Amino acid sequence: MSTGTVTPYRSPQRPGRDDFPHLLRAEWTKFRSVRGWVIAMIAAALLTALAVVAIASSANGKQNPAANPTVAIGPGGEAVTDSFYFIRQPLDGNGSITVRVTSLADGELAGQGPGTSTHTAQPWAKAGIMIKASTAAGSAYAAVMATPGHGVRMQWNFTNDLAGLPGTPSAASPRWLRLTRSGDTVTGYDSTDGTHWTEIGTATLTGLPSTVQAGLFAASPPYVAGSQGFASNNGPGGIDTHIAASFDHVSLAGGRVGGAWTAGHVGFDTGPGPAAGRISVNGSAAPATRHCTSHGTGCKGIAGLPPYRFTQAGGRLTLSGSGGDVAPYTSIVDPLGTVLKGTAVGLLAVIALGALFITAEYRRGLIRTTLVASPRRGRVLAAKAIVIGSVTFVAGLVGTAVAMPIAERKLHTGGWVSSVYPVWALTSGHGLQIVVGTAGLLAVAAILALSAGTLLRRSAAAITAVVGLLIVPVILGVILPQGPADWVLRLTPAAAFGLQEGTPQYSQVMHTCEPYNGCFPLAPWNGFIVACVWAVAALALAAYVLRRRDA
Amino acid sequence: MTALASPRRREARDGHGTTGALLGEFGALREAVHAEWTKLRTVAGPGLLLLTMIVVTVGLSILEVVVQKCPTSCSYDTPKLSLTGVLAGQAVVAVLAVLVITPEYSSGMIRITLTAVPRRITALAAKAIVLTGLVLAAGAFAVAWSLIAGRYILPGNGFTGAHGSEALSLGAGPTLRAAAGSVLYLALIGLFSLGLATAVRDSGASIALLLGLIYIVPLIVQFGILNSRWERRLEQWSPMNAGLAIQATRDLKTLPIGPWPGLGVLALWAAGALLLGGVLLRLRDA
Repeated sequence: MSTGTVTPYRSPQRPGRDDFPHLLRAEWTKFRSVRGWVIAMIAAALLTALAVVAIASSANGKQNPAANPTVAIGPGGEAVTDSFYFIRQPLDGNGSITVRVTSLADGELAGQGPGTSTHTAQPWAKAGIMIKASTAAGSAYAAVMATPGHGVRMQWNFTNDLAGLPGTPSAASPRWLRLTRSGDTVTGYDSTDGTHWTEIGTATLTGLPSTVQAGLFAASPPYVAGSQGFASNNGPGGIDTHIAASFDHVSLAGGRVGGAWTAGHVGFDTGPGPAAGRISVNGSAAPATRHCTSHGTGCKGIAGLPPYRFTQAGGRLTLSGSGGDVAPYTSIVDPLGTVLKGTAVGLLAVIALGALFITAEYRRGLIRTTLVASPRRGRVLAAKAIVIGSVTFVAGLVGTAVAMPIAERKLHTGGWVSSVYPVWALTSGHGLQIVVGTAGLLAVAAILALSAGTLLRRSAAAITAVVGLLIVPVILGVILPQGPADWVLRLTPAAAFGLQEGTPQYSQVMHTCEPYNGCFPLAPWNGFIVACVWAVAALALAAYVLRRRDA
Repeated sequence: MTALASPRRREARDGHGTTGALLGEFGALREAVHAEWTKLRTVAGPGLLLLTMIVVTVGLSILEVVVQKCPTSCSYDTPKLSLTGVLAGQAVVAVLAVLVITPEYSSGMIRITLTAVPRRITALAAKAIVLTGLVLAAGAFAVAWSLIAGRYILPGNGFTGAHGSEALSLGAGPTLRAAAGSVLYLALIGLFSLGLATAVRDSGASIALLLGLIYIVPLIVQFGILNSRWERRLEQWSPMNAGLAIQATRDLKTLPIGPWPGLGVLALWAAGALLLGGVLLRLRDA
């Protein structure tokens, strides 16, 4: 063996570089050069769009009572619940109203609901002071109020909510509330002693008339409890609650000389059952003590509930009653979110592609060539994940961006009113959440499928496993009772479907989130994080197994 | 290919009596069934998948009967509750059915199969028979354990005679129908999957297509926002919604489709898929 004389063979080719961009390029070439995969990815985007639009076309709102509820329309054009008891007097020009709240009690209305023995608190019952443009339902307002569950709040024009002092007022620890009007702005203050005031916030109420209504108000929305699967109460209803609040030191600065207080129900009712229609405002002067026994012309309450009453003695005023709310109207039905579940069609194609991106290499033996070319196996998998994730993200983005506006228009023309089911522009925050979120969901699904494909090395098993984690939980969410259903939708990557919720939710409205109606228990982006954690964990496990196992 | 056909087959074709021909056909089918059985028996995959199917089905059924409590869900159909697992178990059956045929295409084994059994319909029939037998056996086991779980767990959750739900028993006609029907449902899902996979020939594509056909309609229909006419049509004609009507034991009048007609719809899907797969198998080069 005269090794010294033999020159070892050297390829004239430049050796390939082992850097990550080249690895990415190699994987991208593998993807784009398989015509079937490219066609399948384009088909996934198209099918997603088609499915979403087709479902939107058959989602007929004209048959669905939830599609066009009788609601008031707020200053921003959104549907609102604006129904409450208001003891008020006109306020000309600038001025302010101040009050001390010495107690606030709430609870379930006796004789209502299944669990009448338990005290069901409505954390968002409210009593306090308000300055409102007029007594018309949906008119502009600003209010500072005490609540049983969320401390002092300043709210204005239905959708805005700021926190003030925490805690519930009591005789030992009262809450002073003040609203000051100056032109179009109303500023809210609170205080524990009536001398040291803290500003909560300033509301700009555009176009506030010079004469406004200022006074004390109370509202006690129903307590909503989940009753998944037994849609006897399929509307914004629940257990009726009552509220009782005591006020003193009522003072109105800038009011008319000798101005009289007027008491009555304001707004109109959107309570449980068929909407009760408009309730006229009681304009008669209030006697010192008022007891309403019927819903006759002189005495207005909220349909089906005992009316509000107040008693006045020695500067102390007690206001109690049931029902009403001053808040955005939220629907438990989510047509846009349901329609967007049509992305499951594209999702299946994407899951198949993600799995095939690695299982095809196993089937053909290409994996050995791949691993010889780049022996650092973890990086190969990372490159594959980046390529399939990005391609899927782009396809999902295009598909959803095309489908969503069409689907929204179809829903709108199909009878789903835009005041309750907003038509989100693609550039609006929520529109972006839906489009980017759906694309992200598809990308995460592709990476999960890639990981499952690496672990199982069989496309059929890998695809089924990912479908079992992503699509089956959404079906189980409807079949299981609420508690377990919530957990299934929190713990599985299906939580990311929450990004597709199309009906806005407000933190200041108690909301029943039932998977039965397509609601997901986690906040949208938190759900997406759950899915990402799954994908990262699966990818890490796949990388570990890929390194340990013979290819 | 004819030159390679087994001597018995040639004998059958040469013999002029129809009885001989029939016997030959039957013999060929019997041998093909034996061959398919050997193929499935001698690899680990099918056994593991059947085990997975049983675990998934029984597991989900147990979960459902454990979490359903009577005060809120007394009106529920208890046999249907106990058989919830079929919803997930069917996906594993679909995988098994796909793996009966598509790996033969990717490994080239299909050419050997068709050389040994040149009558392609016979080859497909043999696969269908073996698959059906396996799914019926494992399905019966899974369904039986699901019902046993329901029988012993549900009364503890308040589903007692006082609330209008009798203990589950196969002696009750509707419960027997739900149980036997669920086993048949799984077998029909298997045949449906086999037919489609024979037509598609790729395991990834066929399982994605199958799971889409099975799960997407229930996913959309369940939220109840569709036009009621479309919703009813979809519930009557989608393989899963129609087929699982067989599990209903009460309020049959309110169902979009009755139990047996519903299973019939799934049978139509299975027959259609097998027909498509069979025709393509005959016409196409392997």
